[in-house]
Amino acid sequence: MIDTVHAASAEPALVRVRGLTTVLNGKVIFDALDLDIPRGKVTAIMGPSGTGKTTLLKHITGQMRSDAGTVEVDGHNVPRLSREKLYELRERIGYLFQNSALLTDFDVFENVAFPLRQHTQLPEELIRNIVLLKLQSVGLRGAARLMPSELSGGMARRVALARAIVFDPMLILYDEPFVGLDPIALNQVLKLIRMLNQTLGITSVLVAHELEAIKQVADHIYLIANGKVVAQGDPKTIASDGSPWTRQFFGGDADGPVPFQYPAGDYAKALGFQGSNLPGAGA
Amino acid sequence: MSAQPSRNVVVQSLAQIGSCGLFLLTLLAAIPRSFKHIRETVRQLWFVGAMSLTIIMVCGLFVGMVLALQLYYVLSIFGGTAASGMVVALAIYRELGPVVTALLFAGRAGTSITAEIGLMRATDQIAAMEMMAVDPIAYVGTPRFLAGLIAMPLLCCVFCAMGILGGHLVGVTWLGIDNGTFWSNMTAAVDLHTDIVNGVLWKSLAFGAVVTLIAVYQGFTTPPTSEGVAYATTRTVVASSIAILALDFVLTAFLM
Repeated sequence: MIDTVHAASAEPALVRVRGLTTVLNGKVIFDALDLDIPRGKVTAIMGPSGTGKTTLLKHITGQMRSDAGTVEVDGHNVPRLSREKLYELRERIGYLFQNSALLTDFDVFENVAFPLRQHTQLPEELIRNIVLLKLQSVGLRGAARLMPSELSGGMARRVALARAIVFDPMLILYDEPFVGLDPIALNQVLKLIRMLNQTLGITSVLVAHELEAIKQVADHIYLIANGKVVAQGDPKTIASDGSPWTRQFFGGDADGPVPFQYPAGDYAKALGFQGSNLPGAGA
Repeated sequence: MSAQPSRNVVVQSLAQIGSCGLFLLTLLAAIPRSFKHIRETVRQLWFVGAMSLTIIMVCGLFVGMVLALQLYYVLSIFGGTAASGMVVALAIYRELGPVVTALLFAGRAGTSITAEIGLMRATDQIAAMEMMAVDPIAYVGTPRFLAGLIAMPLLCCVFCAMGILGGHLVGVTWLGIDNGTFWSNMTAAVDLHTDIVNGVLWKSLAFGAVVTLIAVYQGFTTPPTSEGVAYATTRTVVASSIAILALDFVLTAFLM
């Protein structure tokens, strides 16, 4: 299944996940998951809530350790990297958090300048120019002196994106980038993701549920459920592969392999009805 | 039946103390890396030190005033009011200065450190730093720890000065003790090593380390929820207060 993804690509995948197994609080999140993220493409990770999409991003960035399996990013086995090497790798990865995660003590300009100040000795004028360039690319150069508390959700997301691309990373991971955005802001973020991918050749990984938005921007989609990849393909064909997973997920059906109800005991018993006490049983 | 829960509480408490000890080693190990964030340390020094000055000065003044008043009434029974200045100074240098300053510091700065770090975790700011390859312990934890360590002795000195000023105001200005007697008895009785170095310096350094360690540890380990931050803030005050008073007894026993 994995090999078919890159049959047309000569370049090795930027991210290779093999046999990833993760158990959290007794629940199996990933069960020998295999997955490849091709270079220079926009790849979307989709799946029902609670299937571990954000957890997968944490494995890719070394924020979490797995119980088994390997996660390779640009040839580096992430779980085996020392802290120094992991930090070196992270300088080449941008991460857009679901809630933007801007530093609330700093204004917009300083938030974007933060990685530059921490990792470089660049002169102030150059830092200023880089930050303004990045802010201009997300349309917020005029908001440079606003504090995070003065920004709307969409603006904060764009500032976080400017901060994520300040080092021109090889890989950007977007965790639910469209949540809570109005149609205008959503469209802007979509355009930015596509523009960054096309102009800078940045490999992008999107974790999202918005199917229509994903169709516009993604080159490849993975559908994860039950700890495994249950379907994959390009946005046009994945929905029509005929498997019950894709039929339920993309059709939005309550019935299917993904249960709507969280596992629970007997419903009638929980409500206090026993045998002939059930309403209508004696009629 | 009842032995099991109490044993669990003991085991959990010991585990917390052990975990806090390991966290202290992490903070200390990060000191060389935190030197490049020296501006953050200075910013925190301003926040936990300079911003605490008002409460420390006001409280120090009133503690000195009430101490002088109480002593005057008690010592007047024996005709020993001239010793008021001496007793005020010794009480403040040896006990009240470091202990009350530390308790106020825990309430003013410790709680804000815990709440700030807890909220930074809840809003993914700590995770964002990790993702930007910035070590949160070296950038957030150690600067606050060092700032507390530096600020506490300075605040304690301010508290002691204000306490003695308060004692002078009540004893000399209000109750009419002779000014020269007040100061000469004080300077004759106060010993630089026993009272200032052991009483003020070492105690306030130890209390500063304990309070900021507890505050930073609680911030970094609290569940990243609003309830978690609220509990962690409370725990900072409770644990700091107990630690200050217990440590005060130990230090007094060894240093005096």
